[in-house]
Amino acid sequence: MKVPGAVRRLSLGLLILVVAIFTYPGSVAISIVIGLTPAPAVSTPKPGTLPWLHVEHPNGGQPYIADDRGRMVLLHGAIAQGLIDFWSSADPTLTDSPPFYPIDPAAYDGKCPENSDYMPAPPLCQADLQQMAAFGFNSLRLPLSWSLLEPERGRFNQMYIDRIAQVVGWARAAGMYVIIDMHQNAYSRYVGRVSKPPLPGGDPVLLRYYTGAPAWATITDGFPPETYLNHREINPAVLEAFSNFWYDRSGIQDEYIAAIATLARRFKDDSTVVGYSPFNEPLPGWNLPPGFEDLLLFPFYRRVIDAITGVHDGLPCWTGFYMPSVCGYRDLNVHDVHHLFFLEAGLLREVTDFPTHLGLPVSSYPNLVLSLHAYTHEYTLDTFASQPPDKATYPWGGYDQSYALAEPEARAMKAAIFISEFGFPPGQVGDRVIASQLLEMEKHRVGFAFWTWKENGGGNWSMFVAAKPTTPMQANGCLKSDLERLLARVYPLTSADPNLTYHYDPSTGAFSLNARGRPGDSATVLYVPAEVTGQVTATGGLSDNSVAVNPDGSRLVTSSPSGGAFSLSISPAPLALTGCA
Amino acid sequence: MDSTEPVEGARTNPRSSRATRALVLGLLSLPFGLLAPFAIWAALSSLRRIRKSNGVLSGKTSAAFGLVAGILGMTALIVGTAYWFLAP
Repeated sequence: MKVPGAVRRLSLGLLILVVAIFTYPGSVAISIVIGLTPAPAVSTPKPGTLPWLHVEHPNGGQPYIADDRGRMVLLHGAIAQGLIDFWSSADPTLTDSPPFYPIDPAAYDGKCPENSDYMPAPPLCQADLQQMAAFGFNSLRLPLSWSLLEPERGRFNQMYIDRIAQVVGWARAAGMYVIIDMHQNAYSRYVGRVSKPPLPGGDPVLLRYYTGAPAWATITDGFPPETYLNHREINPAVLEAFSNFWYDRSGIQDEYIAAIATLARRFKDDSTVVGYSPFNEPLPGWNLPPGFEDLLLFPFYRRVIDAITGVHDGLPCWTGFYMPSVCGYRDLNVHDVHHLFFLEAGLLREVTDFPTHLGLPVSSYPNLVLSLHAYTHEYTLDTFASQPPDKATYPWGGYDQSYALAEPEARAMKAAIFISEFGFPPGQVGDRVIASQLLEMEKHRVGFAFWTWKENGGGNWSMFVAAKPTTPMQANGCLKSDLERLLARVYPLTSADPNLTYHYDPSTGAFSLNARGRPGDSATVLYVPAEVTGQVTATGGLSDNSVAVNPDGSRLVTSSPSGGAFSLSISPAPLALTGCA
Repeated sequence: MDSTEPVEGARTNPRSSRATRALVLGLLSLPFGLLAPFAIWAALSSLRRIRKSNGVLSGKTSAAFGLVAGILGMTALIVGTAYWFLAP
């Protein structure tokens, strides 16, 4: 039967229209509209114990994280794994071992549960927060697990939220901020396990480092759980589970958004919480870049922001199954309009140190941060060719490549930049890699969260030597002095000059900062850890400069501008390291 | 040289295969913008051949819609990439 020409033309037109709306033309159009949408007006938040942070958007300049006086704030901190739901069991065939450390906050009141080698990291206790603050860290990135937050569909674990609030309270008492991180690694510890991989080249799964989604949200469709190339993410079951999440199979993405909203409802009025990291290291599943990020990941972030803040950036759409990139999300009546959203690009960016999406506005909500993981020469493409960091032929732009490209990327997204993870096993090579990353962060004026605070087992990445598996088992061994040398650094906590330059030399303890100020600008505050013993000198346009010594031996230098350029410096002097070799 | 293929009905003109190619490439260029130039080229080439065939070849509708889709894909690609550099 011949189809009439008019019907055929209409059908083709509709087909093209629908495909266009669901793909790049629709995505670009909605992003441009969002880019032109004024930021929502927000009320002044209730005063908090710590100043509220927000993202400042200077005209024609790079957005940055700022305090309530508009001063740039640099967040330095570590990542503590104690609240992650790791698989842990003496029985390697058991796939659904219960949470190992207690969730009840009462188990941590004035005490700390015993560490265990079954877990990759020790429990997180109040002493950890006090140690971090004494180390000069002003923030903690706190990874959580969806599997503990929503162990049964639709039922949120209030005890786990209380436990998170307990850690936030410890941070507040220590004067530190918290970034709440919806963490995952290889999607979930419920992806399954096979003793003998059915496909050639596959290796059995080691569930110890798989974390994230609860069992009910882990849909693998029978794909075999086995790893390839020694990477836990290269696993058919993991890739399928991720794909199902991005396509909102059975409404699991809706549940995830509801889980974040539950957290946001709890911490809505708490200035100690900087904000939320909605997804750690997003893996595309079977999807290809850049479509994964532009059509699935960033639209997902937009929906999270819509749900929590109440802004209406996307189009009204259905929920419960695949939502195209133009879709926004319904207001979940949280109306949290003061916290920051730390948006991670796809995992492929970490491998390439190169933007893997179009830099388009994600949301009209102003408090956005492009959150990067800096693992140059650890996970970048050169490592697949087994090239040592000193002789690597990639990234072509060296350590700077990721940072230099992130600046236009973040400007296009109207976002500040933060390094939400970096690290390297310390040692001769590792120290050089970490020092190079820290140098880039100074150059680009971005803060960081170091991976990781403490860990068990090999303990290669952590700031502390892993505890010996004794009974009872300590939380950790000694502080590694090479990491103490690199990470206990002089840095500006705040400054009214977002274009200041500064540099700390961990080999000599010397520091220099150059900035400009106008009369009446808020003070620049410099943190000098106890390890740094040199003399502080201030020159130039300053009306006041004071040095306060804290009980732990660290110093705070407060410098009030009187107009024009000013400099702060610390003379070279031997470092007073306390760690072990 | 453009190939032809018989379609249903004895009196129906042979269809330009390049028109079908243009339509498929045009649709694919919406999620994969890098295919847009190929869709536009195939569509323009097909439309030219159909016009020159003096009514022998059909497929004008497919080619035209392939062209529209290709232009949409190309526009999204250019605007999306340019925004990166032009963002304030």
